[in-house]
Amino acid sequence: MTDRELEMKLAKAVNRAAPNDWNAILSRCGAQNGSVTEMKELKSNQNIIDVEVIEVKPKRKLRPWLAAACAALVLLGAGGGLAYHQSYAVASVVSLDVNPSIELKVNRAERVISCTALNTEAAAVLFDMNGGADLKGTKLDVAVNAIVGALVREGYLDSVSSAILISVEDNDQARAARLQQELVASVDGVLRTQAPNTSVLSQVLTMDAPALDNTLYSSGLSAGKAALVRKVMEMNGTIATDSTTAFDKLAALSVEELNDLLEAGETRIPIGKSAAAMAVETYAGTAALNSATTDVDPELDELPPHYEVELKTAFGEFNYKVDPFTGEILSGPKDVLNTQTTTPAVPDPAPAVPAPGAQTPGTQTPGAQTPGTQTPVTPPAVQDQDVGQDAAKQAALDHAGLTVGDVTGWKIEREWDDGRLEYDIEFWCGNTEYDYTIDGHSCSVVKHEWDHHPEYNSGHHQNGTGSGGTTAAGDIGEAAAKAAALAHAGVTESQTTKMQVKQDWDDGRLEYEVEFDVGRTEYEYTIDGVTGAILEYKQDND
Amino acid sequence: MLGVQTMEEEAGRRLRELDRLLLQVGRGDREAFARLYSLTRGAVYALALSLLGDAQEAQDISQDAFVKVWENAPGYRSQGSPMAWLLTMTRNLARSHLRQNGRQVGLDEEGWNAIPAAAPDVSPEDRAALQAALSGLDAGERRVILLHAVTGLKHREIAQLLELPLSTVLSKYHRGLKKLKSLMRGEMYQ
Repeated sequence: MTDRELEMKLAKAVNRAAPNDWNAILSRCGAQNGSVTEMKELKSNQNIIDVEVIEVKPKRKLRPWLAAACAALVLLGAGGGLAYHQSYAVASVVSLDVNPSIELKVNRAERVISCTALNTEAAAVLFDMNGGADLKGTKLDVAVNAIVGALVREGYLDSVSSAILISVEDNDQARAARLQQELVASVDGVLRTQAPNTSVLSQVLTMDAPALDNTLYSSGLSAGKAALVRKVMEMNGTIATDSTTAFDKLAALSVEELNDLLEAGETRIPIGKSAAAMAVETYAGTAALNSATTDVDPELDELPPHYEVELKTAFGEFNYKVDPFTGEILSGPKDVLNTQTTTPAVPDPAPAVPAPGAQTPGTQTPGAQTPGTQTPVTPPAVQDQDVGQDAAKQAALDHAGLTVGDVTGWKIEREWDDGRLEYDIEFWCGNTEYDYTIDGHSCSVVKHEWDHHPEYNSGHHQNGTGSGGTTAAGDIGEAAAKAAALAHAGVTESQTTKMQVKQDWDDGRLEYEVEFDVGRTEYEYTIDGVTGAILEYKQDND
Repeated sequence: MLGVQTMEEEAGRRLRELDRLLLQVGRGDREAFARLYSLTRGAVYALALSLLGDAQEAQDISQDAFVKVWENAPGYRSQGSPMAWLLTMTRNLARSHLRQNGRQVGLDEEGWNAIPAAAPDVSPEDRAALQAALSGLDAGERRVILLHAVTGLKHREIAQLLELPLSTVLSKYHRGLKKLKSLMRGEMYQ
């Protein structure tokens, strides 16, 4: 039986086992919550109180504060009706966009009436806040800071040039401007300590501003992001043709990418971060690899524009530059899975001095393959030839007095250190671990270290030939296991204490047990020693 | 290759249909809601069951999920993954239910065994397939295998839904599938 057949059999069985409760569900379905239609009415009629009262519907389970509010309403009678309307009338709509898009409706007292996740990523961000329901009734600035904190924790604001867009929709322009100013200052204060490289963008919209036609453009967007997309369309001319294709492509980009396009005056539409990551994984041959992950940083406002993609695999980390319009790989090693036997087809360029005015310190300028207008500043090292991986391996073997048949557990990383190309090479012979740094230009041994591990007496690191299923030829090593755990926990090693990494064999499988503390939180990971996959993890808060 | 193309076309057609149905449900179309229910109730139930580990609770949460779909469909916007929208709602309800009851459980043997017994349409062959999946896999493997088989979500989408690294999902999927094959062949997995 094939995997597909097995899955189909299982799917059929589950579908037949699933109870059919259609009638019960139908009997419970009452009025629907309004959203898109109401926003349209809100924009066209300007009748805020009448429309937004619809938002407050009897729910099956009233939240305590809502129940209390309703009780108060009954007691107050007709006089209470006005207070009720004022409490639930929407005065302003504040949207926060990164890639997750979240919309907050607030009343005149600047308290949150509703908090809505506009896409699935936003739903994940709001999950710990009961889908946003916990923010109801809180002051706007408190709610915004809570959401920004969650965005940082979820990793949406951790790259070197992330951007968050704060949009305030309000017909009272003075109040909108004040809210905008206060929110920007507040968010800026939070991000200064937690994600200092994030740009805070803001805009004020009127509720009767010409909105994009929702029936034509059906993407799930906040009004704020839609306005940003509209600005880009005005800049690149696609607004004139009313292009839904252009709108959809732009709407799928992050705020950071849209902002880059505006700043650079770039009229072409980039492929997006996901497509850039996929292009790299295809090029590197890791698309089907369990342990490969990517981190994409758009640099669309640099010359030439590009995506920087960091590919993390069990074999090491690799950096790529991708053409943002064609998806062509501009630099970075090809087919990293075969790095033990092949030299990268497109070698990494040597790091160059960043061009004056470049936004990101330390960003590498593109190599010779990349058309650009910058004056190339080439360090002396790039004039030397790369000896290649095979020669570097041989130099290490010669130094150790071994042949390729003697060793196993190869791990090779090619990197630049102070303008010099180096190969970091690790391998095992018997119970001895060899660690070499080979100069990539001269093939000389820069550094070497041998560690004998008498505790490994089970032959796990014996020669590859004839060692059977227990050979550790694909051992990722302690460093990669540790890196996998740290990446999953979203912390750097400097943030941890009590770091422990132990190699273990479980039912013939090589594993690494990685334990560390971050503050009062204890993390325990079991990492697959061959693929780098996280097999188990536990997180305990003291 | 032709088979793969056909499967992809079918998946694309299904995605577009779910998207269209959700938009219609958002406009109060009960016929579209009935069609949506018939197409997705298995997926919603599978996720609820895999998270809650109790057939009765899974049935209740599935009901709640569809009521919530009806209530919130006007706010649905096409984002390319209507199934993920629906299942995210189900996941949140199931987790909220677990939190309210102060428990964090995987499926126990009893809960799984109750499904075939309680469902009259389940054939002996279905029972064998379910029994193997339910009793032989650990909770994480069961969740991933069921979601992949029943919902049609891709591994990346499952990783996002379960908030797990993609590598973990892939590892659990491949390991679970291997175990399942052994169990279906009548072998005991050690």
